[in-house]
Amino acid sequence: MAFQTPLAPATLDAGADRVSESTAPIQVASLAAGAAALLSACGGGGGSDNTVPGMANPVPVNANYRYTSASNDQDAARLLLQAQFSATGSDIAAVRSQGYANWLQQQVARPQSGSGWDWLEAQGYGDVQNTARYYDSSSQADYMVWHQLITAPDGMRKRMALALSEFFVVSASGLNFTWRSHAIAHYWDTLNTHAFGNYRTLLEAVTLNVAMGYYLNTKGNQKANGKGSQPDENYAREVMQLFSLGLVLLNPDGTAKLTDGKASDTYTASDISNLAHVFTGYDVDQSQNVDTLIPQTGGGTRKVGNTAFARLPMVLTDSKHSFIEISFLGIKIAANTPAKDALKTALDTLFQHPNTAPFFCKQMIQRLVTSNPSPAYVQRVAARFADNGNGVRGDLAAVWLAILLDDEARGPAGLSDSAFGKLREPMLRFVQWARTFGANSTSGLWKIGDLSNPGSQLGQSPLRSPSVFNFFRPGYVPPTTSLGAGAVAPEFQLVNEGSVGGYLNFMTNVLSRGLNSGDIKAGYGAELALVTDAAALVQHLNTVLCAGQLNAANQALMVTALNANAVTAASTDSVKKNRVYAAALMVLASANYLIQK
Amino acid sequence: MHTPKIQAFTRRTFLCRSGQLALSGTSLPLALNLAAIGEAAAFNAPGNDYKALVCVFLYGGNDYANTVVTYDDASYAQYSTIRGGGAGQTAGGIALGKAELSATLLNPTVAPIDSLGLSRQYALNPAMTGLAALFNAGHAAVQLNVGPLIKPLTRAQYNSADRVANPRPPQLFSHNDQQSVWQSSSPEGARVGWGGRVGDMALQAGQNSNATFTCMSVTGNAVFLSGNTALQYQLNTSGPIKINAATSSVYGSSAVSAAISTLIQQPSSHLLEADYNAVTARSMTAYTTINTALAETPPATVFPADSLGAQLKMVARLIKGRAILGARRQVFMVSIGGFDLHDNLIRNHGGLLGKVSDAMTAFYNATVEMGVASQVTAFTASDFGRTLTSNGDGSDHGWGSHHLVVGGAVKGQAFYGTPPPVSVGDTKDSTGNYAPADQWHVGQGRLLPSTSVDQYAATLARWFGVEDAELPGILPNTVHFGVPGYPLNMGFMI
Repeated sequence: MAFQTPLAPATLDAGADRVSESTAPIQVASLAAGAAALLSACGGGGGSDNTVPGMANPVPVNANYRYTSASNDQDAARLLLQAQFSATGSDIAAVRSQGYANWLQQQVARPQSGSGWDWLEAQGYGDVQNTARYYDSSSQADYMVWHQLITAPDGMRKRMALALSEFFVVSASGLNFTWRSHAIAHYWDTLNTHAFGNYRTLLEAVTLNVAMGYYLNTKGNQKANGKGSQPDENYAREVMQLFSLGLVLLNPDGTAKLTDGKASDTYTASDISNLAHVFTGYDVDQSQNVDTLIPQTGGGTRKVGNTAFARLPMVLTDSKHSFIEISFLGIKIAANTPAKDALKTALDTLFQHPNTAPFFCKQMIQRLVTSNPSPAYVQRVAARFADNGNGVRGDLAAVWLAILLDDEARGPAGLSDSAFGKLREPMLRFVQWARTFGANSTSGLWKIGDLSNPGSQLGQSPLRSPSVFNFFRPGYVPPTTSLGAGAVAPEFQLVNEGSVGGYLNFMTNVLSRGLNSGDIKAGYGAELALVTDAAALVQHLNTVLCAGQLNAANQALMVTALNANAVTAASTDSVKKNRVYAAALMVLASANYLIQK
Repeated sequence: MHTPKIQAFTRRTFLCRSGQLALSGTSLPLALNLAAIGEAAAFNAPGNDYKALVCVFLYGGNDYANTVVTYDDASYAQYSTIRGGGAGQTAGGIALGKAELSATLLNPTVAPIDSLGLSRQYALNPAMTGLAALFNAGHAAVQLNVGPLIKPLTRAQYNSADRVANPRPPQLFSHNDQQSVWQSSSPEGARVGWGGRVGDMALQAGQNSNATFTCMSVTGNAVFLSGNTALQYQLNTSGPIKINAATSSVYGSSAVSAAISTLIQQPSSHLLEADYNAVTARSMTAYTTINTALAETPPATVFPADSLGAQLKMVARLIKGRAILGARRQVFMVSIGGFDLHDNLIRNHGGLLGKVSDAMTAFYNATVEMGVASQVTAFTASDFGRTLTSNGDGSDHGWGSHHLVVGGAVKGQAFYGTPPPVSVGDTKDSTGNYAPADQWHVGQGRLLPSTSVDQYAATLARWFGVEDAELPGILPNTVHFGVPGYPLNMGFMI
């Protein structure tokens, strides 16, 4: 077995996240001056931000990056559109004044904004007596997550949590239990809580999370019953295949490790069967439950519990746990090892496996920057996963900074490379629309539901993957692609002759009419200010929507089309707005925009 | 010709003699197999005015043991014991009760004989009344224990350390990879599937005037329908999507509409941009033709209102409009998900299989109504079968499974392939060989396929019009089959 035995316990504190645990000296090296400026900015004028916790310990930054600051608005927008959902004027100004690393460190230091769980409660969705029977519905989870993605001030944390939700997948579409919206909200909150924390801590939180417990069957998983029944293998398999190791042994640069030209399996069927025993004995924690009897139409009552279990980690019942000796991935867990210790050893083993860093990091690069990162890029990021610069393994904030500050992400080479970049996911385009143009919900209800229909909506909705394999596979290759051999384009799994039109028709309506009968509408304030100058309007949208990546010919095409209908200061509001909608739609329709470079 | 009997005989003969005989050119099964190969229908044979293959993919890995359920008393008793059934042949654990199976009992013209020489009986899941009736009326057949294989494999060979001599299919038991292997013979990342390659062959033979409508999906992207020249065209259950902003004035401006039409179809030197716009351009070009084809009066047959019903209804409507689409050979794909039942197998499986049965039955009836029943063949596929053992409330990932083939050209009311013994044992004799009863699974009743997907697919492809010589180009592993016990033609198609 080509991997190291588990590390010394000292470097692996499953209970602590990076921000709270790190007491290491600041290592900002050549960025010291910038960091000092940042610290003074934090202390000086940030209003409620002036006590941002964690800024005493900013994420360590590698000193060797070549592109450290934005020389124009386009470069700043490029970073913003990779690191969060939108690039408004003030964001662009902040990046330009602070430099890339300092701006990112500041985002990491921002406190987590209000939780999805609390929002559900504030909206009254935890009311067991409400005749809408919220406990039987997952719609509130949609409202919750769209509201968070569109309005949360900590946009970078939300963006990274969304990327994590596409790696550690739980889908509201695959859950069918009481209070599932609350459970999904807590799952989302968990991803946010740990988005700048540690992978190992997150892995354990995910493993014991109720929504995941239902989704991949750890909930209620029991030891062999002596009559032929065996432990459920689902979580054991997917935690290795999808959440940590992947299927084949990898080099540190994410390429497959080949022996005689062939890849080697990371684990065997026996490893799965063995590991399955570790995940037995768990079920939801009902210790805080209070039942309510709900009268039913047609007579009788139904007993409905409260929401408490949905945010408590699953609990162990020793009598249902399998204490047999476990042998997996070359390690042994002795018979009768306490279940908690067995879990720790198992998750430590996955965390320490040499596959985990390149496997995880490559997919995060794919989500944030480009579908086909160079092996060297993957290796650089994976190295930061292995050691954040302060000797900590699994520091997710260090991983995000390594991805976003890398020369391959920041440098101009990608802008002229015909295969660089990725397809913007439809849900990201929609959130970008909402944030860029200032969408608001008049009622405050934010009733944006499941937008998964590809024929009439986005064909994608957050926390609504069709399976644990996410909306698309990291290895997906479009069948008729012009990409070279070995290249992939995961997001293209959502692209087909129906979905391309479904997206455009949906956005055509959303731009002018908003959603939910106009309750959710955008203001377009910055755009209306430029509306009489078609060229300026297109130039502005080119910056904020696609970081200047519209080519000159397409900009000219758009300007000419807009000028076909004259708009002056004296034009009606409706004429002015139509020009803004038209300009935005042309950008949102163009392949220059759809492929984010 | 009583093919079912011959197939059963083939397996049994092979198993009995394989220790003594190498390839025997005079053995009855092989001779018959060669004769069958000689009958291969070419694309351009007279009278072949139209043929369609319809893949019904059951995403998640279907539990074979509760789909085609063992029924004779001896086998049922083993099934019930393994799955935790109740006393007196009643339901329990994840076992179905025997009495519930009587309405869907399959009555083949020839009883299938398992690898131990025992005559077996099967019923379909109680929810599958429609397909059971089609089977018993001769319009559907069951292919037993089929799954991905690179070469024929015994359990000892499966366990062998020599993976060069005894290769396993890549990434067994993994959902995404086994979906891909079923569809394309390769794991995730494959670009070309056998449905698409079959479409390529039809295009080469000049069957279709418009290549776009050769391979059509009414479900998400799947490698199955991607060929080298035949592209996968996707549409929704509501039909093709018209891009409003590119086809009529938008926000009061026809100039903007024209600009959008240009922007979304223009070529690009950026490969991903080019790929995206190519799909959009194809969508725009095909819209009018498909819409015209769908303007034909739909079949009167009532389809279920659920997703699979709507998908198959769309396929039926496209078949009805085939002349407008300029198509004489078409491959379709539809799907239904939810089969990954690690939990709640009993609670949820019947509902899913009921949907499959109802929708496929309606689809068959629609092909009868349109007069094309013998020209349209629907078949099921899935990631993998599952364990025979229970994990308490469900079953885990497996390998081989049983599948259904439905249509007027199917030699129905018959089983093909060999029934696997009902066993989860790992008994070996003193020389280390597995006991015969434990030969056809690789632990916990995960079936070791005795028929490969390549054989299953080759049988369908040959009916469609593919020549034998073309098979390796479509199904690369067929070069390892067509050997005793593993015929290239399973015989379930006329």
